[in-house]
Amino acid sequence: MVNVNNMATHEHDYHPPGLQHQFEDMKQQEESVALGMWAFLVQEIMFFGGLFTAYLVFRSRYPMAFAAGSNHLDAFLGGLNTLVLIVSSLTMALTVYYAQKGKRMMQVWLIILTMLFGTTFLVVKYFEYSDKYHHGLVPVTGLNKRTKAADPNAPKTEGTYVNTRSEFQWHDEKGDKIILEAREKGYLTPHEEIGYFTNGELDNNKVRDKVRIFFWIYFVMTGLHALHMIVGLGIMMWLLWTAWRGAYSADYYSPVEMSGLYWHFVDIVWIFLFPMLYLLGRHFLAGGH
Amino acid sequence: MQNVDAVNSDFIEKEPKMNYLTNGFTLKSWLLTKDHKRIAIMYLITVSAFFLIGGLYAATIRLELLTPQSDLLESGTYNKVFTQHGIIMVFLFLIPVIPAILGNFLLPIMIGAKDLALPRINLLSLYIYWIGGALIMYALMQGGVDTGWTFYTPYSTTFSNTYVMATGLGIFINGFSSILTGLNFIVTVHTMRAPGMTWFRLPLFVWANYATSLVMILGTPVVAITVLLLALERIGKVGIFDPAIGGDPILFQHLFWFYSHPAVYIMILPGMGIISELISNFSRKKIFGYEFIAFSSIAIAVFGFLVWGHHMFVSGQSIYAGLVFSFLTMVVAIPSAIKMFNWSATLYKGSISYDTPMLYAIGFMGLFLVGGLTGLFLGSMGLTVHLTDTYFIVAHFHYVMVGGQVLAYLGGLHYWWSKMTGKLYSEFWGKISAMLIFVGFNLTFFPQFILGYQGMPRRYASYAEELQVLNIFSTAGASVLGLGMILPLVYLTHSLIFGKNASSNPWMLPGLEWRVPSPPPTENFESTPIVTWEAYDFSDENGLDLEEARRRHLATIV
Ligand SMILES: [Cu+2]
Repeated sequence: MVNVNNMATHEHDYHPPGLQHQFEDMKQQEESVALGMWAFLVQEIMFFGGLFTAYLVFRSRYPMAFAAGSNHLDAFLGGLNTLVLIVSSLTMALTVYYAQKGKRMMQVWLIILTMLFGTTFLVVKYFEYSDKYHHGLVPVTGLNKRTKAADPNAPKTEGTYVNTRSEFQWHDEKGDKIILEAREKGYLTPHEEIGYFTNGELDNNKVRDKVRIFFWIYFVMTGLHALHMIVGLGIMMWLLWTAWRGAYSADYYSPVEMSGLYWHFVDIVWIFLFPMLYLLGRHFLAGGH
Repeated sequence: MQNVDAVNSDFIEKEPKMNYLTNGFTLKSWLLTKDHKRIAIMYLITVSAFFLIGGLYAATIRLELLTPQSDLLESGTYNKVFTQHGIIMVFLFLIPVIPAILGNFLLPIMIGAKDLALPRINLLSLYIYWIGGALIMYALMQGGVDTGWTFYTPYSTTFSNTYVMATGLGIFINGFSSILTGLNFIVTVHTMRAPGMTWFRLPLFVWANYATSLVMILGTPVVAITVLLLALERIGKVGIFDPAIGGDPILFQHLFWFYSHPAVYIMILPGMGIISELISNFSRKKIFGYEFIAFSSIAIAVFGFLVWGHHMFVSGQSIYAGLVFSFLTMVVAIPSAIKMFNWSATLYKGSISYDTPMLYAIGFMGLFLVGGLTGLFLGSMGLTVHLTDTYFIVAHFHYVMVGGQVLAYLGGLHYWWSKMTGKLYSEFWGKISAMLIFVGFNLTFFPQFILGYQGMPRRYASYAEELQVLNIFSTAGASVLGLGMILPLVYLTHSLIFGKNASSNPWMLPGLEWRVPSPPPTENFESTPIVTWEAYDFSDENGLDLEEARRRHLATIV
């Protein structure tokens, strides 16, 4: 920055490391950066908020289909991932602590650990997605495993599994039975009365479409969350590099703190996603596929 | 800083100093700048270009509607033309115009800061705006979009064969530009105020931009995710808005308007901020009810989030929801009315000078009054059934958007032109164009209220024969309006080369921005100012003599 005015502002010649020209002192800079980060997280909440709204709307319309759909998610893997992320939040928080202490190697190791947990999460997520691919549970036609009509090795859900056109598939006799029971007891929502039945008969195509909405929301929400994880890992990479060079000390650690805020935010989103997608309504259809 | 010194310093010949414009002439010094003023100028150029393109579409629409038949354009082409007009004007012009240009330039100076708190984020937001704009332009050149700027599903997801994806992506990307601008403003107002610049000494333009920023960071992400869902649904050929599988196209409208109604306030609040500045400064009188105006901005930002359902009265929303939304719509009119009353009270017994910016401000008050009150017609549940999707609503929102935001923007641009460029524009031509715009605007859009009331639907290339007379009026008015809009482009550009040099305070006003040189140096202030005065303080102690101001004013104006 060219100094045009022979600035009288900088009477003090001492310039702390990392202080940008527009700020008077480190305190002002830290406050600004922290407020900026919080404002960013607020906009992130609103961004995910649209999806949470969509989830709420359709869950309240088709609770049985959502319960049936969530029964085909692996709650163990989901739970494992929840644990992994919670531990990664701990290591992240410790990174901030050691950055404040200025302990370089502790920061480096903790960042590596955090990245390791983040990666574990994504790997588990990959296995979950590929399971859906094999079972024809990806809502978009063309993104499911294509099988030949008589492939004996094709994975089985309930009934014979044939998916020649790579379509979204839905076979769940247990789920169907419970929907019928719920109708007898009068538990179905008005949307469900229309949404699952044709002329009073349970219509598998109609049920499939409602479950398809569940999986659509599942993939968009977890997909966007995974994207945030990947961005988080990118930030961690940069943090690792700067921490390795010993950039952080008691005087200057706000990049670590800010990255930590982002990381925790992404974890918290998952803390909401896990029960919403994996757990709610499972007791209706305990047992799984 | 002593105010008397600030005024007197004008008369002392200073050595020519480096200002933000002369600080580097290379392309790189512009494209990689972190200076909020340079970023504002780059916004000014791009936003103006988009305004011109959007204006050409408007001209095409008015030409087509000169005759009842669809003769100039086919219906399909007409759909694209009004869609592109809407998309460009809303997303690329109205939303960024005041915050990103005038806000960017003035907000740091008005609060006594060297720059925005996050200059790199500011530059990033400009690049995001360019990328988003380029994508929208790309879609337009490939053949355009015909969904209307509202992208209603399932037409936009399933049936439209136009470039919805590229446009949607452009809007998605563009949204983050406005989010980052809003974020930056919020942080800056909180942390960068100079010593003594308390919250209640902030100019009302700053308050207005702060309120706008709240809407930007709370609302824009929602439309971003909505457009993303729409795009995914188009790619995947399945999704939650698809009624064929039990999805809900109305949910799209809810999510869309949850942002797009508050977005209306992104498009008017900054304008109201400028009007507060102009009314007070050109009446040379402390603004009446400062706190009320400041908090009414915040109230508009908050209540604006609770009224989106008034766009959906006839979309099958329950009548009880409709009642609540109708009531809240009336409620949100109150803070706007508070502003109008306070502006009027400020004018009372003020020493009003009718310079170009003030003409725009007075024009704003008239047009916004009409726009705002007709909004109440549309917010009442019974009448709106008759008026929905007619030209009445087209006239209503143009009165608010053009009569409000565009007039305020032009007023602000003239008002701060000398500060931004260091040059004086021609007052004569300024006044002519302000009046042309006012007359042309009314001639264009007032007939549309009547047309709408008579039942002319919006978004059709043809209409019933008996409506032609009023449509001819409207098209004639559009020509006058167009001329009025072209004039500033000419004389403002002219002033850059031939205009007289401006003093630091050509209007003789007390605001902080008038205490720095025109154009300001890169770091704005030689030393951090210490603010000891209230906003709009025209008392004698502040060293601003009205007679002296008049004398100098006459001396400087061509
Ligand atoms: Cu609205």
